[in-house]
Amino acid sequence: MTVGQPVERVDGRAKVTGAARYAADRTLPGMLYCHLVMGTIARGRVTAVDTTAARAVPGVVEVFTHENAPRLTSEQHFMPLQGNQIHYNGQIVAITVATTLEQAQEAAELVRVTYAPETPKAVIADALAEVYLPANQEVIVGDPAAGLAAAEVTVKQNYSSPPHHHNPIEPHATVAQWDGDRLTVHETTQGVVNAQRTFATAFAIPQTNVRVLAPYLGGGFGCKSPVWPHSLLNAAIARQLGRPAKMVLARSQMYSIVSHRAEFWQQLTLGAKRDGTLTALVHVSTQQLSRTSENMYSHSISSRMLYACPNIHTRQQGVRLDVPTSRFMRSPQMASHFGLETALDELSYELGVDPVELRRRNYTDVNPTTGERFSSRFLLECYNLGADAFGWSRRNPKPGSTKDGHEFVGWGMATEAHDHSASPSSAMVRMAADGTVLSQTATQDIGTGTYTVFTQVVAEALGVPLNQVKVELADTNFPAAALSAGSGTIASVTGAVNAAASAVRTAVVQLAVSNPASPLHGLPAEQIITQHGYLFSPDRSRRESYRAVMARHGSPVQNTSTMTNARGYSTGAVFVEVRVDPRYGRVRVTRGVGAYDAGRVMNRKTARSQMIGGFTWGIGNALMEHTVLDRRTARVVNPNLSTYLLAVNADVPDIQAIFVDKPDPVSTALGARGFGETPITGVPAAIGNAIFHATGRRIRDLPFTQDKLLRELLTQ
Amino acid sequence: MRNFTYAAPRNVAEAVRLAGQPGARFIAGGTDLLNLMRDGAQSHGAIIDINGLALGDIVQRNGVIRIGALARMSDVAAHPAVRRSLPVVSEALLNSASPQVRNMAAVGGNVLQRTRCGYFRDSGTTCNKKTPGTGCPALEGENRGHAILGGSDHCLAVHPSDLAVALLAVDAVVLTDRRRFPFADLHVVPGTTPDQETVLGHGELITGFEIPVTPLAARSRYLKLRDRATFEFAVVSVAAALAMRGNTVRDVRLTFGGVATKPWRSPEAEDALRGKPLTTTTITEAGRALVRGAVTRDHNAFKVDLVQRALDGLLRDLGGAR
Repeated sequence: MTVGQPVERVDGRAKVTGAARYAADRTLPGMLYCHLVMGTIARGRVTAVDTTAARAVPGVVEVFTHENAPRLTSEQHFMPLQGNQIHYNGQIVAITVATTLEQAQEAAELVRVTYAPETPKAVIADALAEVYLPANQEVIVGDPAAGLAAAEVTVKQNYSSPPHHHNPIEPHATVAQWDGDRLTVHETTQGVVNAQRTFATAFAIPQTNVRVLAPYLGGGFGCKSPVWPHSLLNAAIARQLGRPAKMVLARSQMYSIVSHRAEFWQQLTLGAKRDGTLTALVHVSTQQLSRTSENMYSHSISSRMLYACPNIHTRQQGVRLDVPTSRFMRSPQMASHFGLETALDELSYELGVDPVELRRRNYTDVNPTTGERFSSRFLLECYNLGADAFGWSRRNPKPGSTKDGHEFVGWGMATEAHDHSASPSSAMVRMAADGTVLSQTATQDIGTGTYTVFTQVVAEALGVPLNQVKVELADTNFPAAALSAGSGTIASVTGAVNAAASAVRTAVVQLAVSNPASPLHGLPAEQIITQHGYLFSPDRSRRESYRAVMARHGSPVQNTSTMTNARGYSTGAVFVEVRVDPRYGRVRVTRGVGAYDAGRVMNRKTARSQMIGGFTWGIGNALMEHTVLDRRTARVVNPNLSTYLLAVNADVPDIQAIFVDKPDPVSTALGARGFGETPITGVPAAIGNAIFHATGRRIRDLPFTQDKLLRELLTQ
Repeated sequence: MRNFTYAAPRNVAEAVRLAGQPGARFIAGGTDLLNLMRDGAQSHGAIIDINGLALGDIVQRNGVIRIGALARMSDVAAHPAVRRSLPVVSEALLNSASPQVRNMAAVGGNVLQRTRCGYFRDSGTTCNKKTPGTGCPALEGENRGHAILGGSDHCLAVHPSDLAVALLAVDAVVLTDRRRFPFADLHVVPGTTPDQETVLGHGELITGFEIPVTPLAARSRYLKLRDRATFEFAVVSVAAALAMRGNTVRDVRLTFGGVATKPWRSPEAEDALRGKPLTTTTITEAGRALVRGAVTRDHNAFKVDLVQRALDGLLRDLGGAR
């Protein structure tokens, strides 16, 4: 049995030795380098672009502005360089094209753009009068007003969180090559099939004329899910100039043209009986929208799905600002989840009920919005496992009750929860005449472990060693499969991989039992055991290797299967310890334990890595991470990893990950559910709750920086 | 990044001669300069690589520790003489950057690194330090990280070097190819010319630092507060050197980072302690003296309180205040 085992990454060696080739590593003969020039106003229009000096740089082939750029439309996004209008700061205003990267970069610095600027609005606080309710963004269950009236205790609080940027370690890169009306693109994308469709639509060519490859990705977190306009422009330039073209974004450019998590304000009103039972949950949020899109991505799913409450009202408002369009960023539901899980903590103190016990009392097997029963939910087990491992029962509930040296020690917890996507996917498995196995599917490994898990799935379905299996991903020449987003890769594609491998096994077994030359000849196919690369008789007295069966057959055995899966909801509980030095308002996270119900765990090592990654990001989210916008110019002030702070090793304590590991009976992915986005959702609230437990001070605005904590401590 | 020429001189005289040409810049570890050039915040026509010069030694002789300008941060931090006699220097270095950066970066360049002000580093934004006369967006903008001391109506940018704060606390002397002068004279406040950050002439090369070995310097420490545990610049930092006679402060140096436009020494705060017992009252008075001239903006007022807390905490740790 290999599925579930902590198998090491099969692509690990290629990655650490540099053998893995990423999109930016592609260099093609005759290739041109494109470099972007970014605008410096957030609203208004371009009045002139002087490209004289840029064009004079040796090696420069062309400089594109809104006046001469290829005409393109995008079904999904505002397309820059099609007119002189500016909708956000850092918009693409020109592209230099040269025979070397250095020439293109130098030319980009020499492009002079003049503007007719208008005053932008950058933050929600500056546009409160313009808050509105877009269509289909309100859900009411039961009678929330009556539920609040029936409450014996009410908590009503406002919470807020800043914009965030995804910052995968690998910047966006795209390499486009045309052959007539056929296009090949090496693209940093979380979805090659989706990218293929987008390129085909943009250039009005058949989808089959486009090949997109992304065998390795250095993280995505949602900002590589769509194909952004810069990639379409790069391909258009390659076509117009008749040469392959490459474009790699600078880190700072990733702060305006590949989306972000929206600034988010929210108000939670919880009504409860004295025993903690929720009578009403009212969740009103406001998130930033852009001038060109009213799509919103930070949804209040937790308030609608997590707790038993008969009366629920979620209202997701928006406000259009002169900033880029936000989009999914890892665990989009975490923004609203922070409010809910903090409000519950506040309620626990109002009631004098332990925070874990309060959540237990509001546990539900049934989706409170739809009334449907969850196919499987082991959240109560998560509370128990997590609390036991953490030692929660030793907690003195009184805030400020534990001090160690100068530091106050606090323990906090939160539920973690995120839904996951699922989309129909296909996979091919082929056993060659030498017995080796190849599996191909056009989903991706964005750093999460897809290669490894699918290798395990194929090996287990066939009963062959892991090293006999090769998995290839992220090429549109392979069978179409899911976008690697919404925690959906494993949930969507595993079933197809398993079905194809199982079909190959069945076929090979049939070859053996039906052939008189096989020692297994005449045995019932369904009784054959496959293991370690061999086919065995039920009593194991007779056996034949896959290799022998295939050698005799003389040609490959192949199957392509398609499978659909249901969306799902993975939950858990996270417990943290913080130490707060009241002298400086300094917070350290010193311990973390998470327990999760993710259905069946496919690989304990990669699942644990997802949890550690989520927890680590949650620390950053809680204590430091935020995009700073200059309110007057709507321009990002910290567009680099020197000043956009993420947690570093020294910020991260020992983290323990626990899994219930029970298969979800409805999941076609061998009982697995999507999980990647769950283990971050509760961490910011858990840290805030722990800070409250340590100090008796509540901060409701992320991140919890020293200045905010000091302000709270000083008002003591 | 703009095109530039590159030269790697073999000796100081040649380096200084090459650096005399317009648009020339020395490069040592390159951990700051390259980022600035790549971000388009700076461009230099000629890069003079000084890594081949023999300026990397750390030696103690006749009561003086001499640190060559090309000594790497990690080597200086780990040097036994520095750790023994100048603990504040070692601590400040170990609290700087990351191990990888410390292995690359040279101490001469460290004290000349440019501010982390986001406006200064953004090629798409005005900045008086970058282009004199264009205006300072930080005055009314995002200034949480900016100075409360030593600022002007032209610039509030904080000097980011931890090492400089420590060198200031131990009475270091700057050696250049043409002169020697107190470290305290190296950096200047922005005034009306924020593009002028030091007294160095064009092409003048820092060759090293000399630091007297004293009982005061031997009892010195560095406290750095920041927004994450490591690999981050100071929100506020304090370097303190303290010599006691019984319960009385015989001599003291108090210097500060994260709060000022240059490495900041506060003679007023020192005077509040010198000759007095180290008590809550005198420490509080020293903190008040430090921030008496502080000017705050929309987002950095918390530093007034935080720097006093840092001073208080460090002095108590160092001196055992009652």
